[in-house]
Amino acid sequence: MADETAVAAVPPQDLKRETIALFIGVAGWLVPGLGHALLKMWGRATMGFLTVGLLVILGAGMRGNVFSSGANDAFDTLGFLADLGTGTFYLAATKLETNGADVSHAGGDYGTRFLATAGVLNLLTALHAYEAARGRKA
Amino acid sequence: MNAGMGFKLGHLQSMLLFAVLISVAFGFLSRRRPIERVKYIVWSLFLFLLIGVGIGWAMYPFSH
Repeated sequence: MADETAVAAVPPQDLKRETIALFIGVAGWLVPGLGHALLKMWGRATMGFLTVGLLVILGAGMRGNVFSSGANDAFDTLGFLADLGTGTFYLAATKLETNGADVSHAGGDYGTRFLATAGVLNLLTALHAYEAARGRKA
Repeated sequence: MNAGMGFKLGHLQSMLLFAVLISVAFGFLSRRRPIERVKYIVWSLFLFLLIGVGIGWAMYPFSH
């Protein structure tokens, strides 16, 4: 009798496709829109780059909080993870915000939300590119 | 660009910018055909603004 606990062998082409999809997902996270650009989905690639880029520029320009890895509490950690979602744009945000964060005004508070949203939106876009590369309907 | 100067945006301007950018992103991600994207973006933007302003007015009595 065959061993029922044995894992079914993954066909090599599926493994290759999965590896490429993973690469595309990581590329999409590092540079917003790059994942879709590699799949030749130009509209979505442009949209990803522009919306995430604009949210980061606006967030940093409004002096929102760019969270760093030295978190004080759980909310700071979550903020850092969200900000990190922008990939390389996280570094751009830290460079753009030369005067530091100022959340004593509503503008700074909005800026913090803009930056976090940019990160989460980029993660969503990268996940979409990953799923499209895997052959899911996108 | 000198972002250190900072952008001075009001509550409504910030909400409007946020709603436009997120609506466009959702429209492009969830729809393929251009006409469907436009419909989705307009509908999503309308709901963003309606709910945002609605919540603002719902909170109004508590601020007085």
